[in-house]
Amino acid sequence: MPAKNIVGKKTRVLPGFHLTLGYTLLYLSLIVLIPLSAVVWKTTSLTWHEFWQVVTMPQALAAYRLSFGVSFLAALVNGIFGLIVAWVLVRYNFFGKRIVDALVDLPFALPTAVAGITLAYIYGPHGWIGGVLEPMGIKVANTRLGIFVALTFIGLPFIVRTVQPVIEDLDPELEEAAASMGATRWQTFWRVIFPVLSPALLTGFSLSFARALGEYGSVVFISSNIPMKTQILPLLIMSELDGFQIGKATALAVVMLVISFVLLLTINILQWWTSRHQQHN
Amino acid sequence: MSVEVRNLIKKFGNFTALDNVSLKVESGELVALLGPSGSGKTTLLRIIAGLEFPDNPEATVAYYGEDVTRVSASHRKAGFAFQHYALFRHMSVFENIAFGLRVRPAATRPSDAEIRQRVDKLLKLIQLEPLAKRFPSQLSGGQRQRVALARALAVEPKVLLLDEPFGALDAKVRKELRRWLRQLHDEIHITTLFVTHDQEEALEVADRVAILRDGRIEQIGTPEEIYDHPASPFVYDFLGNVNLFSGRVKDGGVVIGETEFELPGKTGEVNAAAVAFVRPHDIRITREPSGTKTFPARVIRSNAAGPVANLELARLDGGDSFTVQLSKELFQELQPKAGEQVYVELKNVRVFSDDYSI
Repeated sequence: MPAKNIVGKKTRVLPGFHLTLGYTLLYLSLIVLIPLSAVVWKTTSLTWHEFWQVVTMPQALAAYRLSFGVSFLAALVNGIFGLIVAWVLVRYNFFGKRIVDALVDLPFALPTAVAGITLAYIYGPHGWIGGVLEPMGIKVANTRLGIFVALTFIGLPFIVRTVQPVIEDLDPELEEAAASMGATRWQTFWRVIFPVLSPALLTGFSLSFARALGEYGSVVFISSNIPMKTQILPLLIMSELDGFQIGKATALAVVMLVISFVLLLTINILQWWTSRHQQHN
Repeated sequence: MSVEVRNLIKKFGNFTALDNVSLKVESGELVALLGPSGSGKTTLLRIIAGLEFPDNPEATVAYYGEDVTRVSASHRKAGFAFQHYALFRHMSVFENIAFGLRVRPAATRPSDAEIRQRVDKLLKLIQLEPLAKRFPSQLSGGQRQRVALARALAVEPKVLLLDEPFGALDAKVRKELRRWLRQLHDEIHITTLFVTHDQEEALEVADRVAILRDGRIEQIGTPEEIYDHPASPFVYDFLGNVNLFSGRVKDGGVVIGETEFELPGKTGEVNAAAVAFVRPHDIRITREPSGTKTFPARVIRSNAAGPVANLELARLDGGDSFTVQLSKELFQELQPKAGEQVYVELKNVRVFSDDYSI
């Protein structure tokens, strides 16, 4: 039997590159690309002029600002506090650690409507927290602050779960080395730990941000949904659909799609750039 | 006295890592802390560095007479190198070495030009000038450890502390690097303590060797002193291969099988069980018996690969088996084969009074 010519060919233990790539493309097409292109295709029922009028109407502009702005802020706050939660869960041992660890995942599992109703109640004028804050002049429910609270709630697990394994991997010797060279605690964090964590933080941030952008269920309950003030973009799209304005709704959806894609791509590039030297030793 | 520790006690749970350890290191000395794993050597080094603190209030750590017992690592000015290097993987070789200078408070921080100059000098010292822009992941293990050493030296430490500096390297690189370390020390004369579990490394590199066992310093001395005059069976055994011969004490000597060995000054209860220690290279082999000094043994195995020949023999009068190192010449002359009978003469026999078994 003639020997198979394997010279010049990369051999792998597990074959099947073509098969798996084909499957990947088919799967992505069925699940992501075809539905999304249908959205784009639907907007062709509008003329360019109509499209432009819909996507630049004041109500839409206010909704973009609100959705992207509050989602960004919520992801940012999650980035800071999620990092602390992940750090505590990895570095310290305390009673009930496993329970706290499991609690982090709850926002993943809870139906968002349930979360919305609960938050609206607790932060409402008669709720446990709202009842304390209201007399101090801080209104949460039915305001933008309420939207922020809801988006922070649903985004937390993304940061914790992406940063946690990286902290677990972080050798405490790095901190000791920095200390032995005279670095202060702040310098050790900022110059040694943060750069190693930043790619994972960015991933967590972009996941949390994307999740907040798409959030609908919890926000409708805690927000008053007033156009121009507390109406998020998904809700505006929904209300256009309710009025059978399918063309308008898809036009707004396309804008949201494009902005989200550009933002996520930017974050991915940033993440690639920060991690370019961080192969494992 | 550049580093002095007194009465250190350190426990981790029920495990006693250090049991009242005191140690003095002279200025400019290179001292090895040698011991098996769990002997407390790394804990001792970490306490000297300020990465760990002693449990007992009366313990002291002093650098050049200055008490630093409660001073944190970042204020002690001790250079520390880790077994697994602990290099910052997001920084280039240059930035890793410059780190200690860059984190100084503005008042004492050198200028950028000065930092560049000093890092370049260290890169030259570790012979890695062309690799300044590389990242740790692009270096070999030996190169990484040299960067770690340069990084520790960059802060101009009062003492240099190395935790198993060559432990993660393969045998050939280890040997090169430990010679390099000795040369480096002869150039810059910085007081250095290094931890190792490799006796060969400790004996070759250090000015003095401290041998630790179960959280105590068993013996400290120059490599010659501890090799030629081990203070305990443990040290004897730890510093190289050793053969044990069980016998009995007699007045002024020891009896092994039917052979008597004179040991001037040896006292003890006559007829008490004793164990004699003999290094494999202190055993001579002959074809013919010579007086009462020799005893017969049978060759079990012989192996002439390597610089010396190794033989495994068994006593005919007791059955204890032991190993012998022969020069190649002597091996050629004798040609001992498995199963043959030869006569054995022991030199430099050491008998320890207390019970000891391996």
